Amino acid sequence: MKRTDIAIIGGGPAGLCASIAAAKMGAKVTLIERNSTLGGQLVKQTHMFFGSQKQYASTRGIDICKILDNEVNKYDNIEVLTNTTVLGMYEDGVITLDCNGSYKKMLPSRIIVATGASEKYLPFANNDLPGIYGAGAVQTLMNVYGVKPADSVVMVGAGNIGLIVSYQLMQAGVSVNAIIDAAPSIGGYLVHASKVARLGVPILTSTTVKSAHGKEYITGITTVKLDDKWQEIEGSESYLPCDNLCISVGLSPLAELLWQIGCEMKYVPTLGGFVPTRDNHLKTSIDSVYVAGDVAGIEEASSAMVEGSIAGLCASRSIGLTMTDYDKVLADYIEQSNSLRRGPVGDKIRQGLAQVEIGGQTK
Amino acid sequence: MIQKDGIATQEMIDSITPSAERRSKGPVAVVECFQSIPCNPCYTSCPRKAMKELIDINDMPQVNTDICNGCGVCISHCPGLAIFVIDETYGDNQCLIKMPYEFTPLPSEGDYVTATDRGGKPVCRGKVVKVVNTPMQDRTPIIHLVVPKEFSMIVRSLNINDIYDDNTYICRCEELTLGELREYIRKGYTTLDEIKRITRAGMGPCQGRTCRQLIMNEIAKLTGVKPQDQLMSTFRPPVKPVKLGFYAQEDTDNE
Amino acid sequence: MRIEQHPILTFPAGKMVKFTFDGKELYGKEGEPIVAALHANGIKVIGHSHNKHRPRGLYCAIGNCSSCLATVNGEPNVRTCITPLCEGMVVTMQNGKGVIK
Repeated sequence: MKRTDIAIIGGGPAGLCASIAAAKMGAKVTLIERNSTLGGQLVKQTHMFFGSQKQYASTRGIDICKILDNEVNKYDNIEVLTNTTVLGMYEDGVITLDCNGSYKKMLPSRIIVATGASEKYLPFANNDLPGIYGAGAVQTLMNVYGVKPADSVVMVGAGNIGLIVSYQLMQAGVSVNAIIDAAPSIGGYLVHASKVARLGVPILTSTTVKSAHGKEYITGITTVKLDDKWQEIEGSESYLPCDNLCISVGLSPLAELLWQIGCEMKYVPTLGGFVPTRDNHLKTSIDSVYVAGDVAGIEEASSAMVEGSIAGLCASRSIGLTMTDYDKVLADYIEQSNSLRRGPVGDKIRQGLAQVEIGGQTK
Repeated sequence: MIQKDGIATQEMIDSITPSAERRSKGPVAVVECFQSIPCNPCYTSCPRKAMKELIDINDMPQVNTDICNGCGVCISHCPGLAIFVIDETYGDNQCLIKMPYEFTPLPSEGDYVTATDRGGKPVCRGKVVKVVNTPMQDRTPIIHLVVPKEFSMIVRSLNINDIYDDNTYICRCEELTLGELREYIRKGYTTLDEIKRITRAGMGPCQGRTCRQLIMNEIAKLTGVKPQDQLMSTFRPPVKPVKLGFYAQEDTDNE
Repeated sequence: MRIEQHPILTFPAGKMVKFTFDGKELYGKEGEPIVAALHANGIKVIGHSHNKHRPRGLYCAIGNCSSCLATVNGEPNVRTCITPLCEGMVVTMQNGKGVIK
């Protein structure tokens, strides 16, 4: 059975930063990625990121992906396993893998789970029709493979992903008929909303999709207005034609592996669902298991990167490794993490984290 | 309301509008960021340090208009594409607006486009006088758009189609506008015959006498194929409108 | 349809390979997911569900949801969103659970 110091599951922003941080500490790292390339969902983020320079603000996600990928390649002590899926995590610390079609077992000293999230689904009549896609799917088709997902789209969800994907659809030459959201106000950053508004895309709040139409493929939807108690207003139905309905109603942490190994999990809606309890070093209730990124609670990619760095440093420290300025570097990452969450848009994140932090000592 | 439709209210716009005195002195940045979010490139990218220091990255941006000279470096650095530069000294009745534009096709210098407001509604005709698109802008080109001065705080985007195109008729018989014609040419209908078959221009009562030359000129403009090198359409009788019954007559001249 | 012009991205031309969907000859870029090649050819319905025979196509595009199952070279239940396209692939609409031969 293969042994390694730190197995990092997931090669997205959190996993990449965790690998780099752990490698800097001298750990023997095995970075496990299910796809053929690293980067996770960064590979389709054509927009510039927010944050500060330390989190690559003003740089496009696709370019951050290249920067981190190059960085990972610089370290001989990072082994990258692509096309590899972790199938299971067991109580004795063994993980099992589908590595390019062959079955493998591995015993790492520490595991950092950075599996990310999956898109939430929305119940409405005929919601299984072809042409109803997750916003991420649409982004993958157009930004990774250069294929137009449709001609005219209605976006469900005015959070950051819904707003950004709407903008990106227009960059790909697809028209966006409307962005609808059940909430009474826009959930995403207002600058993103303004960006699509000035292109003439109507954003309809307190509006949801009641049903989709079409036999083999979607041809349009019926929307309905909601009152301030989120109840449908009778007679407010309206028809919107489209050949694609894009669902962007949030993400859920991909936490199956954490459940398998028995991490303590708590249901925190503001973090996207069930998330692991953890200390401010991102260690879960199981000493050998750390978490970083969306699997620990849905946030922006900039936070995921910072969390990855913290988890990489702390997991390495816990097996006796260190580096010069370790305390200073760690303190800086923790401060970055806090500053990203300090403002009003971080209110819900902070409230959510307060429920899952062991000791609650994040400062 | 911006929280519901993404469009800033007049009150918000007023709160960030530079003073009339400052506007009369030349170009200045207008930062339309109305929410505290963790983001600071506007501050870090400014070569003149004209943005008030963001001590916490969640602080709201604030331009010191005495220091800002409207250079526009911040425009391409703002992840929210929320920064514009206005210059009301551009002309007697005109102003220049520098705005980010991340779409293809990019307008070219000299193009007339439709200037639109924060809700994407047409405001007026605008003239593109410069397109700045160097590696410095890193794929966020900056368009310099000239519009009437009173729209300096209203126009915030553009539609590449000239607003005049929709009111400019190329074919009177079949009511084909310049805007529609351009759209067809861009879609790939690049010969007179193709345009005729998709739009009927040339098949009306005048039989193409008014529109033919204009269409050929427009094809030349957009495709680069000169009128003399274009495929001419087929000419068939009759050259003037006649009733079908006319042809049913017998030719009585037995010569 | 493929994106011809993009303000941020450029897409490598790639090698076009021939494959079939329900017997119809099509072309796609070698190595792109089967479902991307089908989309580029305007094909978006690639199966029907096993119980109620509802049409099925793409949903997540990253291998999470298994909505895009089709039969590829005789093998049923292939996730077409993460399976790269190869020359000569025989893709057929999967109606129901598929038969493992």
